[in-house]
Amino acid sequence: MRTVLVVDDEPLARARLLDQLRELAPEVRAFEAGNGVEAISQIEAVGPDVVLLDVRMPGMDGLETARHIQQLNEPPSVIFTTAYDEHALAAFEASAVDYLLKPIRIERLEDALKRASTVAIGRQAHLRLSVGQRRTHVGTMVAGRLRLVPVDDIVCFRADQGYVSALTRAGEMIVEESLKSLEEEFSEQFVRVHRSALANIKEVAGIEKDQHGNVVLKFVEHALEIQISRRLQSKVRKRLLGTN
Amino acid sequence: MLVIRPGLNRGFLSIAKLASISQAATVTAASAAVCGRFDNLSIDRCTRGYHTVCGALGKRQVNTEVASEKDKLFLPNFCEVGPIFAVVVLSELLALMISVARVGFGPDLFSDLALISLYVQWLSLTSAAVLCVARGFLASLDERQAAIVSYLMILGINIAICEVAWWVINPVIGEQVLMTIAHQEFVLRTLAVSGIFAALVLRYFYVQHHWQKRIASEASARLEALQARIRPHFLFNCLNTIASLTRQAPEKAEQATEDLADLFRASLSDAGALATIDEEISFVERYLNIERLRLGERLQIAWQLEHIDGEIKLPRLTLQPLVENAIYHGIEPSTDGGTIEIHSRIVAERLEFVITNPVSGNATSGNRMAQDNVRQRLAAHFGEDGGLDIEAGDSRYQARVFLPVTP
Repeated sequence: MRTVLVVDDEPLARARLLDQLRELAPEVRAFEAGNGVEAISQIEAVGPDVVLLDVRMPGMDGLETARHIQQLNEPPSVIFTTAYDEHALAAFEASAVDYLLKPIRIERLEDALKRASTVAIGRQAHLRLSVGQRRTHVGTMVAGRLRLVPVDDIVCFRADQGYVSALTRAGEMIVEESLKSLEEEFSEQFVRVHRSALANIKEVAGIEKDQHGNVVLKFVEHALEIQISRRLQSKVRKRLLGTN
Repeated sequence: MLVIRPGLNRGFLSIAKLASISQAATVTAASAAVCGRFDNLSIDRCTRGYHTVCGALGKRQVNTEVASEKDKLFLPNFCEVGPIFAVVVLSELLALMISVARVGFGPDLFSDLALISLYVQWLSLTSAAVLCVARGFLASLDERQAAIVSYLMILGINIAICEVAWWVINPVIGEQVLMTIAHQEFVLRTLAVSGIFAALVLRYFYVQHHWQKRIASEASARLEALQARIRPHFLFNCLNTIASLTRQAPEKAEQATEDLADLFRASLSDAGALATIDEEISFVERYLNIERLRLGERLQIAWQLEHIDGEIKLPRLTLQPLVENAIYHGIEPSTDGGTIEIHSRIVAERLEFVITNPVSGNATSGNRMAQDNVRQRLAAHFGEDGGLDIEAGDSRYQARVFLPVTP
């Protein structure tokens, strides 16, 4: 074990863990991150063997961060830390390497680190966190790096020739997920407008008819127009009215 | 239950026989219903002969009676042994009262008591049995309706039994043996006595039910109050902070431990305890000291307290839980943190504390336990003059506590 990343939003909680790590193994290189997004970029920068990950964090929480970590080519072992999250405990108990309750005892930390170094990394790939938990970010590997896009920034998801991509104001990114699973996960925020497209309700400007007589969806800050399937038209209208 | 002495006249024996047959039927119905209540728990309680009745009644009872209804209805469950026994004892006391009034403590007391008891028990046990069967229906009514309906039911049953006694039993034992009074008179007397007695008994059950309910709700309110005031998430994070500070900054750890101790001492005090405004503000400050250690720069506080009389009293820990809510829902879910505003002002003879927090996109919605608890305690102490208003906007969430300036 050489490199450990400590992720926690509370500076004093990080300080304590770093202290304990130093005491356990002075040769360990320890890094820290204050939230999930920062953690992902740190992981790519320093390539830790183990990540000590707080469950309750602002923005992207620990459970979601762990999900994104699993997408990496060589994901580090994840050990969750938490003060008191009875629901979260149930969600990861079966699949994480270990979880530690704060304030963490140094013996428990030692055990968990030992276990992390012996558990085969492949086993962790099966980490499945509670179904139905919505992510705040969608991530994809781009040129060997994990790119995270906040779900709020996505204008629409569309499928084209077998690839699903997420369209943002800034550009387009391939996501390795099916439209169906995305639709299920983000049904509160996105509506299916076509067999091959999901639109972010908050980004929709309105519904119009184009010169060919097709009914199309227009977006607030994106020139894109998506044709709405005939059979979905009334459903889309209802969703847009219901939320605006 | 009945004292039957040899040497009673034949007339009485035959009325006793007939009456006991009908009474047996009543008891049968009642015990069958009792069996019904228990039939999935302990089938052996069912007397063998009544199995079929049990089955039929039992199903109905189980279906109609859900737990909440059971708590709602003020009547005890007459399908159970305890209440039936109470009815028997109360009825016997009534019978004794009537007999003593009629014949005094002479040699006739026991024969008179036997007869009266028979009649009274017959009436009351039949009433109890009907209330047992009608329990599901009564529970579906509101309290006032249930009281009226059950009272009318009892009166109806009593008139019916009264008529049966007059038309069936009286002719059998020969005219004028016991019932030396006119038909109308007989019915009226029975109704008057049973009407008054039933009203008293129902009232007794009603008062007892409410008394028990109050004790139960007081106990659960105390428990809720405790849970509302001690958020486990806060406690364990705070302990973790202290553990961390113990090495790095022992003086700060000491301070945090003292602050936590004060907060917990206040939390664990009696739910009705009062504190002055100054004390309340110091609780908030202690709490904020701890949170500031934990959240660092993410937590900003803007105090703005107008000249207020620090001696005004209010329920202890009224403000701190609201500030805790503001941090839990407004600051913690946000990566950048934010500012909590705590303002006080005097508006129309009322002192107001306004606690405002920014609304974060990922805010979690709570179960409003802390708010309900604060609201209840303010109402209990100030009545309508004190309270808590919530204003939930898109970007700001505001909790406003108000109380009278002059208590």
